[in-house]
Amino acid sequence: MTNIEKGRISGPQLLFLVSGFVQGSVMLIDFAVGMAEKQTWMVILAGLLVSIPFVISYAALAKRFPGMNVIQINDIIYGRILGKLLSIYYIFFLFITLSFNIRDVGELYTIFLMPNTPFIFFLAVFTATCAYAVSRGIEVLARISYLFVITGIFVSISTTILLVDKMDFSNFLPLFELPFIRIFQGIHIMVSIPFGETIVFLMIIGYTNKDGNVIKNTLSGLLLGAFSLFIVAVRNTAVLGITQTIWTAPSFQSTRLIDIGTVLTRMDFLVGIAQTVLIFFKCCLFFYALLLAVSEILGLKSYMPLVLPLAGIEVIIAATVFQSPLDHAEITQNAGIIYSLPLMLVIPPLTLLIAKIRRLPESKGGKVT
Amino acid sequence: MTKTLTFKVIMCLLVPLLLSGCLGGGTEINDLEIVVGMGVDKDKDTGKILLTAQIVREGEIGSNSGNGGGQNAKAFWNVTATGDTIFDAIREMTHKTGNRLFVSHNHVVIYGYNIAEEGLQEHIDFFLRSHEMRPTAFILIAECDVSAVLDAKPETEELPAMNIAKLLKSHGYTSHFIEVNLKDFISCLMSPTTSPVAPIVEVTPGEESEDIYISGMAIFKNDKMVGKLNKEETRGLLWVKGKIKSGVLLVPSPGKQGKIALEILEAKTKVTPKMENGKIVMDVNIKVDTSLAEQATIENMTTLPGFEKMQKIQEEVIKHEIMAAFEKSKELKADIFGFGEMLHKKYSSKWNAIKDNWDDIYPDIVLNIDVKAEIKKADLLVKAPVPG
Repeated sequence: MTNIEKGRISGPQLLFLVSGFVQGSVMLIDFAVGMAEKQTWMVILAGLLVSIPFVISYAALAKRFPGMNVIQINDIIYGRILGKLLSIYYIFFLFITLSFNIRDVGELYTIFLMPNTPFIFFLAVFTATCAYAVSRGIEVLARISYLFVITGIFVSISTTILLVDKMDFSNFLPLFELPFIRIFQGIHIMVSIPFGETIVFLMIIGYTNKDGNVIKNTLSGLLLGAFSLFIVAVRNTAVLGITQTIWTAPSFQSTRLIDIGTVLTRMDFLVGIAQTVLIFFKCCLFFYALLLAVSEILGLKSYMPLVLPLAGIEVIIAATVFQSPLDHAEITQNAGIIYSLPLMLVIPPLTLLIAKIRRLPESKGGKVT
Repeated sequence: MTKTLTFKVIMCLLVPLLLSGCLGGGTEINDLEIVVGMGVDKDKDTGKILLTAQIVREGEIGSNSGNGGGQNAKAFWNVTATGDTIFDAIREMTHKTGNRLFVSHNHVVIYGYNIAEEGLQEHIDFFLRSHEMRPTAFILIAECDVSAVLDAKPETEELPAMNIAKLLKSHGYTSHFIEVNLKDFISCLMSPTTSPVAPIVEVTPGEESEDIYISGMAIFKNDKMVGKLNKEETRGLLWVKGKIKSGVLLVPSPGKQGKIALEILEAKTKVTPKMENGKIVMDVNIKVDTSLAEQATIENMTTLPGFEKMQKIQEEVIKHEIMAAFEKSKELKADIFGFGEMLHKKYSSKWNAIKDNWDDIYPDIVLNIDVKAEIKKADLLVKAPVPG
């Protein structure tokens, strides 16, 4: 067995990769706002609690097979045919989710920042940048993750501080009002979008150093990322109150309200910067995992020949898959969280269980790295 | 080495070209009409929307004081257009301006009296949806024609719209009105019970020019304007909302010979809703610190007994202001204080039973006002100057 990726990442780098990845979904918590309204903060915490065991199972699985990615693991656990089928499911998920995320960037820019520029232009430029970044390998992404995570957290905390005088914490009351089914769907969205998508790391955790302390670092990264999302959700509800459900992007609207002595205004560019950087990071990790998975399943020695073709396909899908942001939200809120569910919540724990029962990988091919 | 250096140099040269903006989206400042204020009124003849936009004439800004040549050279241009909706009218305006309107610096949105009485819901969507608009733009209701408000050239400011925004921001000096921005307005509008309020602006004829004057607040029931609060009533509202910054409290002197002006230094409000055997009681606790700013009476009020007496009267004055606002809101069945939301937040289970007939319950609310007033200082005098 040969490995396509030669690079190795350290434990702390893994922490920042996970954290940056989770924060990359900061725009997507708006899907939950539509469901959970003022209880969004609760939904984030509940979603986090539900996700923790699953994320631990991802890390434990990857730790059990050091130096391997999920495509190789599937082959070992489920045999060649079933393993390949599951891998194709995994690749399908990466493929579709990546195009949705690229589309998010296009929507962000055409709605808020540069409405006169063609949509496809943003998609192409953004994906080209991602392609450039991933072609440099995981080590480069890992090194830059510190910067991105700090940017994300800095923006969420600084905008929160600047908005303190506009906050009304009675907006959270009454604490429990919505019917449970909406909260449940909100939790479902949180589990399957920002937290469950960390399943991408099944392609990455394997390349952590031996002393990387994988489970602890993955979990800390998840918590750090969730903390940032939590701050954003609390800020939006406290500032916007009942109106937070009508905006396309509550984060933009709440930072547009910043007005410190009429000098410090129009701070929504901060959110624009942070969201661009974080989604870029998330898309890079998705793209990287996709490239690695596809080239692994095709038996290629390097993923470089796939970078440009896949990038082109992703751009085309992103540009044509939905008619409007409404379509996008409708599909993601209702269908997207269903098709990804078995992949996130069933297969990894099952794989781990089978590996434990069959005492893999010690009995077979355990020394191959 | 030289190859990478050349590459870097080429990249550096390319970056300014590639990053300087996109084709087709580039807009020069002289191709934009910068809008600082907008007015929405009803066209009396056709019943359509009559939109007024105040556009800055860049060339005239700051030139008036210079050579004093053009006395009539205004720094603004009020363009009007009619349309079925606001966006329709805005695009209609390009027939007159030739350039696209740039509304990102819009400070005020003024609605005409007629349109406010018919309902603002249809006419507020654009200002929130348009990506250039800010939710911090102030909302006002014009007592007279909207175009008259935007036409009244202020004495110290060059742009009427900026002048109105400046007036609104000065609400803290009297607390006789309050600024309301689009986001605040729709927060109340979207609430099932709370009635929105918005400042009323009118034009008063001055000696040489006309003055803009904010006379009180308009009360809305859902999205329709149903009544007005005068200055005292507005302050009553602000006492309960805890939004008093400063202001002049006029109290009659204990000896009934003159008036005493107290300056409000700080006010704190706590409202506790209570539901007892189906009766709704609102406990309003107000702590207010004032200073003796002026006494227009011959009695010397700068004494301990004088202070005590004044505090008592002051408490009565504040209670009176609150009750005036409350009576007005009871009359209109408009929950301007947001009592409904307070009950909703505290008694969420019982709330479901009463929320549907809130309009009928509202007038039966008992207001329990407790004011604690303290006079903290008397400024420079320890005795009033009295003829010897």
